[in-house]
Amino acid sequence: MIERKERKPYWRHTKWQVLASLIPFLAIVIVLPLYAQQLNANRFLGFPLGYFLAAHGFFAIAVVTVASYVNRQNAIDHWHGAHEDT
Amino acid sequence: MTFGARARVVNPRLGTYFSIFAALFTALFLLVLIFEQLNLNESLLRLAFFAGPILIYAGIGLSVGSNDTLNYFAAGRRVPAAYTGLLLAASAMGATFLVAGTGVFFFAGFDALVLLIGTLTGLVVMAITLAPFYRKFGAFTVPSYLGRRFDSRPLRIVSAAVVAVPMLLVLSAELRMGAEIGGRLVAINPSFIVCVLALSVAIITGPGGKRSFTWAGVAQSIALFLALLGVATVVSVIITNLPIPQLANGPIARGLVRNEVNEGLQLINVWPLAFDLPGDGFAALTKPYMQPFGDVGVLSFGLAILSIAAGISTAPWLLPRVAATPSVYEARKALGWATVFSGLVLLTVSSVGIFMRDFVLDAVMSERLGPLPKWLFEAAAAHLVSFDQNAARLAFNGLHFDRDGVLFALPIATGLPQAFVYLLLAGALAGALVTAGATTVSLSAVLGEDVVQGMSWEPVRPDVRVWISRGFAGVVAVCGAALTIIAPTDPLRLVFWALSLTGASLFPVMILSVWWKRLTATGAIAGVISGFVTAAVAILMSEIGAISTPSPIAGTLALPVSLALAIGVSLLRQEMTRHTLEIVRDIRVPGGEIIYDREMQRLQLRKHART
Repeated sequence: MIERKERKPYWRHTKWQVLASLIPFLAIVIVLPLYAQQLNANRFLGFPLGYFLAAHGFFAIAVVTVASYVNRQNAIDHWHGAHEDT
Repeated sequence: MTFGARARVVNPRLGTYFSIFAALFTALFLLVLIFEQLNLNESLLRLAFFAGPILIYAGIGLSVGSNDTLNYFAAGRRVPAAYTGLLLAASAMGATFLVAGTGVFFFAGFDALVLLIGTLTGLVVMAITLAPFYRKFGAFTVPSYLGRRFDSRPLRIVSAAVVAVPMLLVLSAELRMGAEIGGRLVAINPSFIVCVLALSVAIITGPGGKRSFTWAGVAQSIALFLALLGVATVVSVIITNLPIPQLANGPIARGLVRNEVNEGLQLINVWPLAFDLPGDGFAALTKPYMQPFGDVGVLSFGLAILSIAAGISTAPWLLPRVAATPSVYEARKALGWATVFSGLVLLTVSSVGIFMRDFVLDAVMSERLGPLPKWLFEAAAAHLVSFDQNAARLAFNGLHFDRDGVLFALPIATGLPQAFVYLLLAGALAGALVTAGATTVSLSAVLGEDVVQGMSWEPVRPDVRVWISRGFAGVVAVCGAALTIIAPTDPLRLVFWALSLTGASLFPVMILSVWWKRLTATGAIAGVISGFVTAAVAILMSEIGAISTPSPIAGTLALPVSLALAIGVSLLRQEMTRHTLEIVRDIRVPGGEIIYDREMQRLQLRKHART
């Protein structure tokens, strides 16, 4: 069980982690489709690059974002003793 | 009710059981494939693919029935991350994003990426900002969570009334989609198929509530994945020699870029708020695949992503799913799996769109290369495409494809046996059943828990509690079937409406309930009601043409209203009690008891002390 004085630092740490995961991700959500037209002039694996980044690239970024968040947040939980008992 | 984590161990034989199911499903396909070559009666094979899997799902649902509260409402909190993720992905997409989604990719090309980007964004936002905290809270339904979190019965009842609407819309969309798919398998009256599907959903979810739905739903999701990925992989090997349909179609995509424009498809720039995704029924191709913003304007693209993401991340038929995971850590991992699975399906769906575009391009260019390809006539006989069969040459505007038939035209266009079409149909039907089951289970829990018993926190006797919800599972199935038969609407449009209604009414309040301590019960009620009413009014006005925003995304305009009112009303008057403050502090820390169980135990003790 987490100690009382650890709660504040734990939550501050968590908030920063969430911002660090979400802000770059949401920025990509907005930016990628906007530049697709220009990027489409290039090719990757045969795909027009803009389409490839907005589809396959976005999928990869989403998976990496969640995976890194799970890993980091778990480490934060353990660091502050906020993790579950089992 | 037991509390320690040790009581919630994961069943070690899960892998074996579902391997057996996967083997059964594959065996059914192989048998049908063999019997088809032996010229067995075709309608018998179709019936086998319609009824066989449904009987297996019903068998699974019936065999795990339970009257225990924790089992009935949260599957015993022992569903591992990967299975939860599989279910989340399958029920977030359902048959609508699978079947109609393939059509949307086929017609709109790049613009259809709103589905992919929206769904994945929704799942990522859910994973980071909501799911772990919802799991720590452990409530069985979203209205129970809100009511308990703010210690407010009015909020509980208001949000129960609000979440019922989108869930009914989704249920109706999936039943309609299921009837359409089932109608391609067995030639009976669609209304009758709707009734059969609603009945099977009630039978699958009735005996054990969430527990029955979980294990039958995992089987359905596996069927969906096997069917889609299996057929797409076979097609990919035939066309590109590589067994990776998601990646191997690059060179084909390049061919599309080069040739579609030559054959007369031009990108017409639309105004930024246009949202012309293909509707129900037949249409001709109008837009080159790869160029963005030919059907959906730039602004609509962003709004649609926001609408889908906000809707999926707070969907009351998805979020309670994570309450069934064994721990907070597993809940986080489950969302990771959900992202992987849904991304995989949507990428495969997009590759199906590209393959089909390539076949159509060949057909259009066939005048110079020879006669019209044979598959076009076969697909026309199966009512998947319509064209002038006497014409010597076809242009893009002479070929009309059924949006909800593009997926099933793929095996025909590739020249595969009919068994592959049946396999896809069975997979899509499983998708319809997963989402229909998810909405039925969640809605019956909301009605039984938060509406009927909403005025009091003290739970009634466990068996009565379960039977109330069980009764509502039947009621919900009947209502869903009636709605589908009385008011048939384009399923994709229904899902868009449902997601924007959910996002507008719940998203701001749910996020703030974790991340902003000062949100008050009154503020939350104001946010939920204003979001819902504004979204509903915006959708209605858009439908009658009073505002120019297209109706599938009009509901999103209510999101800022809801956010502003929730914050504004909360700032007006502070009403934080020590108890709710304690709950918020506990939600934020993964360790410790599950809050909902603790609260329920407290109430039980108080009741005992009084009597």
